[in-house]
Amino acid sequence: MKAFFTEVTSLTFFTGRFFKELFQPPYEFNELVKQAYLIGNKSFYLVAITGFIMGLVLTIQSAPTLSQFGAESWLPAMVAVSIIREIGPVITALICAGKVGSGIGAELASMKVTEQIDAMEVSGANPFKYLVVTRVVAATLMIPVLVIFSDAISLGGAFMGVNITGDVSFSLFFSQVVEAVDFADVFPAFIKTFFFGFIIGLVACYKGYHSNKGTEGVGAAANAAVVMASLLVFIIDMIAVQFTNLLINY
Amino acid sequence: MEATQNATVVKMAHLQKSFGDNEVLKDISLTIHKGETVVVLGKSGSGKSVLIKCMVRLLDVDEGKVSILGSDIFSLNRKELNLLRMKIGFLFQGAALYDSLTVRENLEFPLRQSGKPREEIDALVMEVLQSVGLEDAVDLMPSELSGGMRKRIGLARSMILKPEIMLYDEPTTGLDPITAKEISNLILEVQKKYNTTSIIITHDIQCARITANRMLILNNGVFVAEGAFDELKKSEDKLVHSFFE
Repeated sequence: MKAFFTEVTSLTFFTGRFFKELFQPPYEFNELVKQAYLIGNKSFYLVAITGFIMGLVLTIQSAPTLSQFGAESWLPAMVAVSIIREIGPVITALICAGKVGSGIGAELASMKVTEQIDAMEVSGANPFKYLVVTRVVAATLMIPVLVIFSDAISLGGAFMGVNITGDVSFSLFFSQVVEAVDFADVFPAFIKTFFFGFIIGLVACYKGYHSNKGTEGVGAAANAAVVMASLLVFIIDMIAVQFTNLLINY
Repeated sequence: MEATQNATVVKMAHLQKSFGDNEVLKDISLTIHKGETVVVLGKSGSGKSVLIKCMVRLLDVDEGKVSILGSDIFSLNRKELNLLRMKIGFLFQGAALYDSLTVRENLEFPLRQSGKPREEIDALVMEVLQSVGLEDAVDLMPSELSGGMRKRIGLARSMILKPEIMLYDEPTTGLDPITAKEISNLILEVQKKYNTTSIIITHDIQCARITANRMLILNNGVFVAEGAFDELKKSEDKLVHSFFE
């Protein structure tokens, strides 16, 4: 229990330092762009493939149930709402927690072990700003972009799934999707992806930056980053859903 | 070599540092003058690396003061500390090159916020690369370098801001005897070329022989002997003698 509270306190201080350093010059724009490119580019294909499979499988699995109720025509609408509201953001965030989170956690931990972070510090640079702030901001900005890609590709998968059992034109599928999805579905789902990105970047950097125990600590940091970020993605999702429902009902 | 008795650049007084119950440094005091090359010799685990890290505030001390170029480093704020650190070069044991950056980017890293024009940065990069004899490695990644090359590039990076003080943490560890001798000679060349004050932490007696004006032997957190290489070599103290066998 003591370890838990120590961890929470340490993460809180780390978050506080992030916001403090975020607004203080000098700004590391080049490193931010590089990290945004790395996060977006390196995760794109994985997110695209899983997104496509997700849309396809969800459609194929949902079709028999809807047909039992004679509601097959609702399939595009139901799948679109599921993907955009929940499945797209959460699955993409979990994939990024694995890919991006472990990558950042291991990279920073290995930099710590090999004294690269110390080397930055003694050269008069601010390693926190250069390594942590850039990566957290890049993750916060890029995860929403990946979610948009993932949602679009998932809908492509769903279109294919619908056409495996039936025959629906793209324009009909598209018009059903647009009709079913409204602002209240898209906006809260999009906003929560920024929080997913932030927490994935923050936790990964925290675990990597505070790694110890030598090379053993590198694996441990990567592992802990993935586990903690994934758990926090679910917790944020739960809070976001409750908050959205409160706002809609209000 | 003769030590140059000049202005004091490093002054440590009654330094103490513990990790839990493990007292690593116990009452360390040391004064180093401008232009000196001081070698701190000690066995593994004797506290050498902790000592050198306390000098640049990579580690905080429990007790004592460290004054570098007239500034008490533990009373400086972050900005002042960073300005002071730019006058200190530090060669880490494993060179600590940034894995994701090329040699050129590694060397440019300390100059990022300097506001120097591109041409000047390029000239500085080539100058330090020439100093360590690795001009052709400029576009290589650290993973493509041998151990000796990494040390040379690490040395070049620490020299790029033309520091007044150079700190070397085990500069020859992990190298074959020939490369280790080359690195020791390179340290000496750099010291002469840039007139830096150097502090070398090592357990390599050949490195100490080539580079040292003055040597100190650290054991169990205290200096147990001090003197020139030849003086210590004649010592009858068992521990001191063991380094020269």
